[in-house]
Amino acid sequence: MAETTSHDVVCPFCGIGCDDVTLTVDGAAVTAAKGTCGRAAQLFARSGAPAPSARIAGKDVSFEEAVAEAAKRLDASRTIAYAGLGIDVDGVRAVLKLAAKTGGSVDHYASEGMFRNLASSQRKGWVATTFAEVRNRCDLFVVVGPDPSKAYHRVYERVLPATGRFVEGPRRVVFLGGAPTEDAKSQLDGLTVEIIATPEGGLVDALSQLSALVAGSVLPAASPEIKALAESLKAARYGVLAWSAASLDNDGDLVIERAVSVVDTLNVTTRAACLPLSGRDNLTGAYHATLWNIGFPLRVGFRDGVSDHDQTAYATANAVKEADLVVWTSAFRPELPPASAAAVIALSHPDTVFDTEPDVFIPVGQPGLDHQGLAFRADSVVGLPLRRHRDAGLKSVADVVTLISEARA
Amino acid sequence: MSAVRIINGRVLDPANGESGVVRDVVIDGGRIVDAKGFSGPTETIDARGGVVMAGAIDIHSHIAGGKSNITRLLMVEEQRANREPAGDFCGCGGGLSTMTAHATGCRYAEMGYTAVFEPAMVAANARHMHAEMKDIPFLDTGGYVVLGNDDFLLDLISSGAGQQAVNDYVAWQLAATKAMAVKIVNPGGINAFKFNQRKLDLDEANPHYEITPRTILTTLIKAVTELGLAHPIHLHGCNLGVPGNEDTTLATIAATEGLPLHMTHVQFHSYGTEGDKKFSSGAAKIAEAVNANPNISIDVGQVMFGQTVTASADLMSQHRNRGIASPKRWIGMDMEMDAACGIVPFVYKEKSFVNALQWAIGLELFLLVEDPWRIFLTTDHPNGAPFTTYPHLIRLLMDKDFRDEHFARLPKAVRKHSIVGELKREYTLEEIAIVTRAAPAKILGFKDRGHLGAGAVGDVVIYRDDPDREAMFTKADYVLKNGQVIVKDGEIVSVAYGQTHQVAPNYDTGIETKLDRWFDEAMGFKAKTFKIADDEIRDGQGAVTHATTRSA
Repeated sequence: MAETTSHDVVCPFCGIGCDDVTLTVDGAAVTAAKGTCGRAAQLFARSGAPAPSARIAGKDVSFEEAVAEAAKRLDASRTIAYAGLGIDVDGVRAVLKLAAKTGGSVDHYASEGMFRNLASSQRKGWVATTFAEVRNRCDLFVVVGPDPSKAYHRVYERVLPATGRFVEGPRRVVFLGGAPTEDAKSQLDGLTVEIIATPEGGLVDALSQLSALVAGSVLPAASPEIKALAESLKAARYGVLAWSAASLDNDGDLVIERAVSVVDTLNVTTRAACLPLSGRDNLTGAYHATLWNIGFPLRVGFRDGVSDHDQTAYATANAVKEADLVVWTSAFRPELPPASAAAVIALSHPDTVFDTEPDVFIPVGQPGLDHQGLAFRADSVVGLPLRRHRDAGLKSVADVVTLISEARA
Repeated sequence: MSAVRIINGRVLDPANGESGVVRDVVIDGGRIVDAKGFSGPTETIDARGGVVMAGAIDIHSHIAGGKSNITRLLMVEEQRANREPAGDFCGCGGGLSTMTAHATGCRYAEMGYTAVFEPAMVAANARHMHAEMKDIPFLDTGGYVVLGNDDFLLDLISSGAGQQAVNDYVAWQLAATKAMAVKIVNPGGINAFKFNQRKLDLDEANPHYEITPRTILTTLIKAVTELGLAHPIHLHGCNLGVPGNEDTTLATIAATEGLPLHMTHVQFHSYGTEGDKKFSSGAAKIAEAVNANPNISIDVGQVMFGQTVTASADLMSQHRNRGIASPKRWIGMDMEMDAACGIVPFVYKEKSFVNALQWAIGLELFLLVEDPWRIFLTTDHPNGAPFTTYPHLIRLLMDKDFRDEHFARLPKAVRKHSIVGELKREYTLEEIAIVTRAAPAKILGFKDRGHLGAGAVGDVVIYRDDPDREAMFTKADYVLKNGQVIVKDGEIVSVAYGQTHQVAPNYDTGIETKLDRWFDEAMGFKAKTFKIADDEIRDGQGAVTHATTRSA
């Protein structure tokens, strides 16, 4: 088969939603051209080897046999944890429909950070923004905690080019309680970058001070750097506080709460917004599709045809302890299901190397490579159209889940 | 699917001048056919004692998209308290003011609605909205793309690019987002708030672009007129909720200079400043202006008492309202050089002077606007109340005794400031059929909806003729979607899906060069990624594209 090259391919992995990837496809083999970020290039790459067979208990079986076995196991199970959910919106729809029939819990494997964000947004609310607003308006960008570019590679290139349409003078970037990686520094070349270090575990305090200072309190004990930052934020025309909730420590929900309060106060006199990043493997799309279909933001449970929401009980880490079957879906990357005593049906990336062989394994296609689909960007608002770029004989998670559902007794 | 013959029902079809005539209605192949000429085999539905109408159409209800999801997130208690019951057609969702997709379709269908339009599709969020609308069963849908605060447009207007360039851009957006119409929310105001301006009157300049809401409004009115869209500009005007905004609303009507304009949730834009509380009804003045200007149509955005959540692209207004949030939480978001959103939960209280007067102002508008073809029954779901309150609202309009009884419960101060008690008008069934069917179809440009003539879609409803109009319109006896029975005795009996509607007037593709550059430089991604392809709508079924004059 002739080699084909696709330009301007949308990248679905981290949630930044770059759309300048060039893919070269030769049969089943895929290479991403130079310029693609290292992680995306690695995740898009395929050797060209034929997809592995479906397996039952490690033994190669036909696709149909695996589907039938999966259906049988669903029917025989008491408590099912639907986990992973690293899939496109159609995949999420199919999993939710199946879970509604079988009962069980549904969660995304990378939702921990998102629920830290929800601890603030759901209980008190916040003022948030999107990439293009930051790109054009933000004159002061505060990174709260660890550098998000470790997870969101090209984030600065995307949201903080040297000049912004409405920004007068150079933009300032302040790392509060974290430091830019070398790669981040090169993306931020030409901008004024400052670092305000905080002691180990001191990020909550720093933000509490910042919150009190922007609200007009006099805090003699606050560090001069924090005082100066408070003044800068009050003087900024569009200050942004950004963070990656997944990389915050266990006190992350408090860090976020304080950051939200800083922005809330600033908006009384000037403009400011939060940029909470959480979006790996279409976490944002799974969150949205679950909200509009079920009414809750993931971590939902189904029993007797009615759904419920419990952020603790239905979190994957807890749900697998109660489950006798885990249905693992991971189409974007070869992510491993959590260790547990439960049986496992894995609808997984074909290159997955399991620590423990699942009871049923069915290789699935990647949205945005093997089939069309929808994912969401990490700032929540923008949907990413994912296209098909090769035919390696792999079905989508949505198709496989639907077939399994239809095969049930 | 076999043909269906509905017999013995009183047909109420104002679009075809039929007011209660007993005749058969036959649906074959999903469309209404001439009943006398049809001789094939049919299933028969006996509608004796019932009233037969076309499927109802809601032209303004926030049913999908990012802001709907934020309402669900914020109102988790409501979601918990309102679960869809288990059953053959259960979607496992729930909510009331924050209803999930499947429940939205079910509850609308049970009341006899078969088409509902989402009036605030922010372009950047259009892909989300379409994905969500796909999961709403039973209803035909479509979105109105929000323009008038987008930096690209404001830059075009302020740089003097000319009407033609604006028209090309509007047409490009309609095609790119698969939209049915153009909505303006607080023209220029949402944008001005991003530059820290807190209020923007009709003739006040945007701090950056130095153009006024009036200029934005008249430019876009001209654009949709010249592009040949059936639906006029769908306007959420300046100063929503601000006492004294009746003047802005009257000035806005005057600004149209006779060109068509639809003004939405006008109840929220009909406030005066008279009385001790400096808050009074401007309904009489607004209704008078609507009556005198046949180019104007309105929907009301009726308020009903109880808990709801307000969701709007108008972050300027919602930031102002954040202090009255109940429960005390709210979310705001600036969105992608396009618009914004603000979500504020709210309880309308019967004992509150302001809320009770809002209720009365809505009813005054309904009762004072004379032409039922230019007023539409809405609560601006969920902003004034959930759409499930429509049957109650219908009874308030049709039954003066019932209305007076409710009016009498309001605080005395409110009764002193409202003329609701003096208004004798009772809507007739025919008028209800107009405001919920025939007129919505007309203002959206549908030739084959909102009526029961041959060629219309087979969306047909049978209501039992109950003197309690609230009971009558709460649960239809039968609802047919494209000829398929989906509701029987008020219960869902089968599932069907509707279509998505859009317009796509032609444009000079020269505008694409500008937009490609805009996306590369300002947005940070590609215009071609932004554009929604046909195969993204309803699993490749695509949207139904309606003709516009310019697209020949």
